[in-house]
Formats: sequence, C-alpha cells, structure tokens
Amino acid sequence: MATHPALVDTAAAPDSPRLSTRMLEILARLDYILLAAAAALVGFGLWIVGTITRDDIRGDPSFFLSRQALAAAVGAVVVAVLAGVNPNILRRLRMPFYAATIALLIGVLLTPEVRGTHRWIEVGSFNFQPSEFVKIMLAVVLAAFVANRAGAGVDFSTAAGAILLAVPPIVLVFVQPDLGTASLFVVGLVAVVFFGGASWRTLGSIAAVAVAVVAGLIWILPANDVDILRPYQVDRLSGFLDPSSDPSGSTYNVNQSITAIGSGGLTGRGSEDATQTSSFFLPEHATDFVFSSAAEQHGFVGALALLLLYAVVVWRGIRIISIAPSLFSALLAGALIASLICQVAINVGMTMGIAPVVGIPLPFVSYGGSSMVASLATIGVLMAIHVRGRMVS
Amino acid sequence: MAFRITLLGGLAAVLLAILVFRLWALQIISGDEYLSDALNNQVRTARVDGPRGTILDVRGRVLVRNKPGTIVRFWPGDVLEDRRSGMLRRLSRLLDVPVRDIEAEIDRVEGDPLSPAIVRAFVPEVQADFLLEHQDEFPGVEVVETELREYPFGSLASHILGYVGEISREELERLDPDTYEPGDRIGKTGIEFRYDQFLRGDTGTEEVRVDALGQIVRTRRETEKPVPGNAIRLTIDAGVQRAAEDALRRGIARVRFEDNQLLANGGAVVAIDPRNGAIRAIASNPDFDPAIWVGRRDPDDIARLGSRFENSPGLNRAIEGLYPPGSAFKPVTALAALSERNATGTAPLLTTDELVQCPPFMLVRDRVFRNWQERNTAMTLERALAESCDTYFYNLGLRFFNLPPERGSPLQFWARRMGFGEFTGIDVGPESDGLLPTPEWRRRTGTTAVDKIWKPGDSVLLSIGQGFLLVTPLQMARFYAMLANGGRLVEPHLVRQVEQPGSEPGDPTVLRAFAPLEPHDIGLDPHAISVVRDGLFKATHEDYGTSTSTFRDYAIPIAGKTGTAEKFVELPKGALGLEQTYVGNQDQAWWCGYGPATAEDEAELAVCVVIENGGLGGRAAAPVALEVFEAYFGERAAEQPGTGDVRGLTD
Repeated sequence: MATHPALVDTAAAPDSPRLSTRMLEILARLDYILLAAAAALVGFGLWIVGTITRDDIRGDPSFFLSRQALAAAVGAVVVAVLAGVNPNILRRLRMPFYAATIALLIGVLLTPEVRGTHRWIEVGSFNFQPSEFVKIMLAVVLAAFVANRAGAGVDFSTAAGAILLAVPPIVLVFVQPDLGTASLFVVGLVAVVFFGGASWRTLGSIAAVAVAVVAGLIWILPANDVDILRPYQVDRLSGFLDPSSDPSGSTYNVNQSITAIGSGGLTGRGSEDATQTSSFFLPEHATDFVFSSAAEQHGFVGALALLLLYAVVVWRGIRIISIAPSLFSALLAGALIASLICQVAINVGMTMGIAPVVGIPLPFVSYGGSSMVASLATIGVLMAIHVRGRMVS
Repeated sequence: MAFRITLLGGLAAVLLAILVFRLWALQIISGDEYLSDALNNQVRTARVDGPRGTILDVRGRVLVRNKPGTIVRFWPGDVLEDRRSGMLRRLSRLLDVPVRDIEAEIDRVEGDPLSPAIVRAFVPEVQADFLLEHQDEFPGVEVVETELREYPFGSLASHILGYVGEISREELERLDPDTYEPGDRIGKTGIEFRYDQFLRGDTGTEEVRVDALGQIVRTRRETEKPVPGNAIRLTIDAGVQRAAEDALRRGIARVRFEDNQLLANGGAVVAIDPRNGAIRAIASNPDFDPAIWVGRRDPDDIARLGSRFENSPGLNRAIEGLYPPGSAFKPVTALAALSERNATGTAPLLTTDELVQCPPFMLVRDRVFRNWQERNTAMTLERALAESCDTYFYNLGLRFFNLPPERGSPLQFWARRMGFGEFTGIDVGPESDGLLPTPEWRRRTGTTAVDKIWKPGDSVLLSIGQGFLLVTPLQMARFYAMLANGGRLVEPHLVRQVEQPGSEPGDPTVLRAFAPLEPHDIGLDPHAISVVRDGLFKATHEDYGTSTSTFRDYAIPIAGKTGTAEKFVELPKGALGLEQTYVGNQDQAWWCGYGPATAEDEAELAVCVVIENGGLGGRAAAPVALEVFEAYFGERAAEQPGTGDVRGLTD
C-alpha cells in the first residue's frame, strides 16, 4: 500500500498566539462545499418537517418545526466549535469517551420503556438519544485504538482488539433494542479496520464470523427457542423479503411508504395534497419515513435533489479521508462517512422497500434533536479534519 | 489506502445508483398506479340525507319542520358487550345521559345490526368536538350531523303527525329496496308514515376524504345532490285545532271541577268539512309532546304513552277510541225507520208526521226501559230528537225487532250504510271500525245458549245507541257530516296536497293534489233527512232542546244532538287520584252537530265531541263543540274582510 503523506501521524500545528488569527486560519480552510451541502440538507429538512407536521398538533402548527429549528441551531454551534477543535484532542479523550459510551448505554437501559424500547434519556424537557452521540464517540475510540497500534497495517490481533472494544456498545444498543443503530456501529468498526489496512484475509475472516452471527440471530437460535431478536424485528426482516404478505401488519408501514413515494410522481403532489402524509396513512412521517413524505410532496425531482445533496456530502467526506492529516483522523473520517453512507442507504432503501425496516433516522432531515445535533457534529468533526489536513498541506 | 478510499466511493456510487433507480421505478414508471392507490386510500363515499319535507296546516303554517342537530350514536355491533362498560360510563359522563338510558336504547336495537342506538340528540358543539378528537377512545361511537324533526306548535296535533325513526330490518325487508336502504330515516306512524314517500328526501352521495383513522379530513365533494323531500299540506287548520284541543282540555277539567263523582279523564274532538270530508281539527286528550320521539327516546316517556294511570296519552281516541254513542245515535235509528218498509211492505216503518208515544218507561219482556225524564205524551220525530225521548226510540227499536226475520237486520243494515261498523278510510291510522252488533254477531260471540240469542232488549238498546254498539268519534262526525250535506257520505282525509319544498306558503307550487272521493249518496229519502235536520235544529234552538242553552244565542245557526251514554269503565287505583280501583258505569258525554244549519249543502263544518266519563252531553260536550265552531267561523271571518267579526255578534 502506498504511503500517503497524510498518514504520517504528526502533531497538529502549534496553537496560534492570537485567537482571531487562528479563527481566520480555520475559516480559510473550511470545506465550504460540504458546509453548503449540509446546510442545504438541514434547510430542506426543516422545510419538509414544517409542512408535514403542520396538522400533527391541533392549534400549534409549528410545534415540531420550532423544536427542530432549535436543534439545528444547537447543531450549528456544535459544527462551529468542533471545526476549531484539533482532532488530536478527540484522540486524547478516547478513554473518557469509551467510559461515557458504556455509561450512557447502560444508563439508557435503566430508563422506563417508551414504545417497547429504551432509547431516550430525559434531560429537562428534552429526550436525548445517547446512541446517536455514541456513534461518533465509538468511532473516535476505535480510530484511536487502531491508529495507536498500526505501524504498517492492521494485523489480526489489532482487528480482534477493535472488535472486542466495539462489542460491548454494539450489544448494549442491540438490547435496547435498536438493531439499526447497532448495525451502524458495526459499519464504523468495519470501516476503521478496513481503512487501517487490514489484510483481505483478515477482513474475510471477520466477514465469515459476522455472517455466522447474523445467521445465528435470525435462524439458528430462534429455531432452538432462543429469541435474540424481538418477534417484530424478525417480522420486519422477513416482511422485507415479501412486502405484500401482510398489508396491515408488519409490512403496512412499508407499503404505505411505497405508495406515498410512488404517488409523488415526477414533480410531487405538493404539501397540501400529499394525502399519504397529511392523512396519517404514512406512519412516522416526520421521523423514520421522512424521505417518503419528501418524495410524495416533491416527487422524483425533490427526492433526487435530496439524494444528490447526500452524494455531495459523501463526496466531500471521502475526499476528507484522503487529505486527513493523520492516520487517526483518516480512520475517524472513514468510520463517520461509511456509517453516514450506510445510514442514508438503509433509511432511504427501507422507505422504498429495498432494505429492511430498522428504525434509523435520515441524517439532517428526520425530526429528532439528537439525530440532528449528532449529524451536524459529524460534519463538525469532518470539518476539523479538513481544516487540519489543509494546514498540513 | 487510496484504493480502499476509491472502493468506498465506488460503494457509495453504486448505492446511490440503486436508490435512484428504485426511486425512478416507483415514481416515474409506476407513479400513476401508486397515485390512484393513494387516492383510493382515503376516498370514502358517504351518503347525504335529503332534508325531510315540512308538514303545513291548511293555511301554510308550519307544524313540523327540520332543525339541524348533532346526534351521537353507538353501533353495538362494533364493540363486544363485555368491553363496553368503561366506554359507556365515559360517554355517559360526557353527554350527561344516564348509563341506564344508553343501555336501554342499546337493548331496543339489539339484534338489528343496521340500527344504531341514539345516545343523545342535539349534542352541543364542545362535546361533539371532544368526541371527534378522541374517536379512538370511543369505538363504535359516531357523531352525525343530521336534521331532526321540530314541532313549532308543541303538542298540537301530536296524534296524527306521527314520528320519524331509523329504518328497521323488518321495514327494509318489506319496503321497496330501490327506495329504502339501511340507515334511512323513515316515518313510523301518522302522517310521517302514510306520506313518507313524499316527505322523504332523496339521498345523495358525497366523496369524503378520510385519514388513516377514518376521520373526515378534507372538504366534501357532492357527487350526487340530495333532493329535499316535498312539503305536505294538511286539511287541518292549526287555529281550529288549537281551539279544539284547548276546549277539550278545559271541558274535561270543568266536568271534574263541577262534579267530583264524574271521572272525566279524556276525550276527542273531530271537526270535518261536510262538503268534502276534509278534517279541520282532530283532537285527542290526553295528548303528548311529539318531540319525545326525536333523537334518543326516554323509555319513561314512551311508556307513559300507553300508561293506564294516565289514560293512554298515545291513543288517538278520535279514530281509535271506542264508545257507545248513546242518544247521538238516535238520528241513525230515525233515518233507518223512515227508510225501511213496515212488515207488510205497505208503508214505511215510521212516517215523518206520525205521532209516537213518549211514556216514562216501557216494559219489554218484563224488563223496564226508562226515559231519562218523566213525560207521557205523543210526539213527532222532530220533537223526539229535540228533547231526546228514549222511549220514543225504544218503540222504533221494537218495530225493527218485530219485522219478519227474512228482512235480516234492517237497523244495522242502514247503520252500516251510514258508516258504522266500517272503517272510514281516513288516511292516517290505526283506525277502529267499531262494533255494530247483529243477531248473527250474537250467535257467533255469545258464550251461553241464552247469550247467543238476539233479544228485543238488544234492539231497544241499539235504538238509543247503547248496548253492545261501539263507535269512534270519527264515524260519528262523518255521519253528522252526511246529515249536514243532505245524505252523502264523505271520505275523511287529513292531507290536501303535496307541495314543492320551499314554496311560498301563500302561493305554493302544488305537485299533487289529493282529490277526495266524491261524497257518495247512500240512498236516503231527502225528505226524511230534512225532517231529522229540523229535529236537530230544534234540539239546539227550542226551549225543550237538549243543547239549546249552548247554541241558541250563537250567531251561526247550529244543529246537533247530545248523547249521554253509559259505559262500564275500570280505572286503576292512582289514576285521577283514586284511592282504590274504580269499577262501574260512567256516562260518556257526546255532542255532534253542524253549522251553518240553514239549507242543505250550506254547512261548512260538522263537529263531534266526546268526553270520557263526562256525564251529560249537553252540559259537558256541547260547550266544547261551540268553542270549535267559534274558532272556525272566527278564523273564516278574519280571512274574509267585510263579513264582520262573527264572534263579536255572540257577545
């Protein structure tokens, strides 16, 4: 493998004596295309959430919009702060991050059940979803672990160590139960190991083990009366294979979602006439199935625009991996961007019936403060890496 | 590393391509299909009831109209019985209706899946909105905007108007399926029932958009316009009707006030136009408020309609009540005797100038039959009618009895021709045909050998309208209308025409006029009729007349006959404040007559009044009839300027 200049694990540029000079340096090195794409996604999201939740609370048409806008504002501050933070500081925080990860995920399991799961921790009047933030912290922890051990590529023991580090958070999220977020953690883990330079054989072994685990979860253990997956999870996964099997049951959501998207046609039905959304046929129309609402209201044109904005974010994100100033930051960017790609693909695929229904939000767009802030935090981290990468080069 | 980064980019590109391809397939290739799915998802066709027609009086005054209201109803089939109680309790609290009443209503419609239970009508908007917003907490509960019947005159004419209700399964099976469908509201009794086909509006349809919970979310679009029902104009004059009801109520109260031995507790009035059979007023007392049928029915209110303690307010005594007519029947006997030939066939059984003895009593097979007063003189038919000599008519009764058996029962034959023992054919039921007893009837219904024989006493009693004879007030009114018009029997009817809804009351667009049957001549001798008419005029104007004190001074000449008919009655303890059950004979007070009693065919109104247990007809019933005449001729005077205030002349 060719040695990339960015992979030389150097310390970041020394701190500037004057804050304003430093701010200018940072401002000059921001990825404005990424920033614009993210801002456009957030704006598009606010617009969609605003129109589809107008009738959800009688007498308060902007209930959801105002909360979402507040989350976006908090997220903007987070982007600004993180962009100025040297990724090495994050790297140094890997142990507290890991401790916080475990603590938060155990803590959330102790909260009362909401709709059958433990996903939220109440903070004041807000419900905060720790797994969204854990996704970033775990990426930092795994990237730091691999970067610390990898001189020239990841050997099997490093990969195994990373897996061992990742398994507790994955299991803790899995038992919430939140299959979708657990899968994204797996994606982050695989990305770190992959970009860390693990040999194809190592990757193959990991893949074999993963297939075995999944097979065990879905078929072998239940056949022996050991239910790791909740019945609804099995229904959703098997319903994914045959969406018309049970229209009002587990696949109801998907069929309504497909109808919503299909009915949007080329240019959409407009926010007034998008009846799948406005008449509540589409469940979770502002959260997990927000893409369907957008596609119903704004058609192929609007949905394609949304996907292209993600494509821009992904393009800039992948570019940041290559200009990252250190192995750690490259791995971090790789984990974040891989997980973002998968999150978007699974969410959008799910709404169109080509991915199983796992409850993960669409980044930047779905209603939900934790998701919004965490998505923007991802942009902030990527931005910080970009800034340092540009300073080095 | 660069290769692996490229790989990630490649993966992202492939995923994007898959998503875009799928999106294109869904939206561009199959977009129309999904669009129609989405539209079908939420379009429901709902029915829109055409508003029911109004019911007007003869002058266009509105007796029954519609009032928009919100009904909350419950479909028992939607929720299993053991899951209802909590919901019903919440519903009861919200709508302020006792749970017991809701359950009674549910029981009423049990077993009829097409009929919902009405929980409450005229639900205030706040409660209706609450129910709509919390529909998921009230399964099977439906909030419906509808038009409910309203009665601007309250209980006026309550017995003939009838009521409207949800169509029953039995009615659906019986009626034309092209016209009637589940969920229809249909006339159940009275005018509402008989003229339902005109009053009912045609149901339209509308498309409503509903959300996933089935709630209507979007503007309605009428796909088929509902057609409002037509108006029905009655022959009833609300002014005369009001006067008849008030006079009857006061008349009953006056009897009880004057003589506490009389257990007056009900009665009826019929006022009919003798020229064509149009009924101007038809009253029955006690009455009820027809609004008890609107919306949810209070079981106590409905039970009261048939309560013996309240003398069955639901019964329309004018057409269904059966009474012995007493002396008011004497003109029938007189006309029959004048029309029938004697035993040899050489002369009539009675001639108009014949003098017949009026003794204080008569012995018939050792049984004493008394006159109501001490007299012993021979008199003409006119005088006998005027002072109502019983023994005179006993004599006629015996003459009928003594006719050869092969002549059959001529008195009954003539009485039947005059409308007794027959349905009058009035357009609103249920009607009684009464009982006109004959030797054949005795044979059929008698229980012992003696009981099966028609005896002279039976003919004697029949001649004065007693014995087994039972008539309805309507039959009596129709008979007196026949006397008034010179011998033609009319077809009593309540409805004049069907009108375009929303017509100008003064100048309506008539869609269909009901022409009553032409009054048919029953073949009486015109001279015989004129003699009877003279007798009835003397009864109201000569010193010896039985209702002279009531009618002599009235400006319009009235002719008529009193009746005081004994009837065996049973009144339960508690009714009329009785401390124990009453069993005994009470006099039924009658007055029947017509006016103006000048020449034949000039009479405009025949009136018949009966007061149950009212005592003397001349004292109890005649004043009630006078009030009806006053109201009728007063209204007529008021509408024809220049003829003067007739009522004023009597003061």
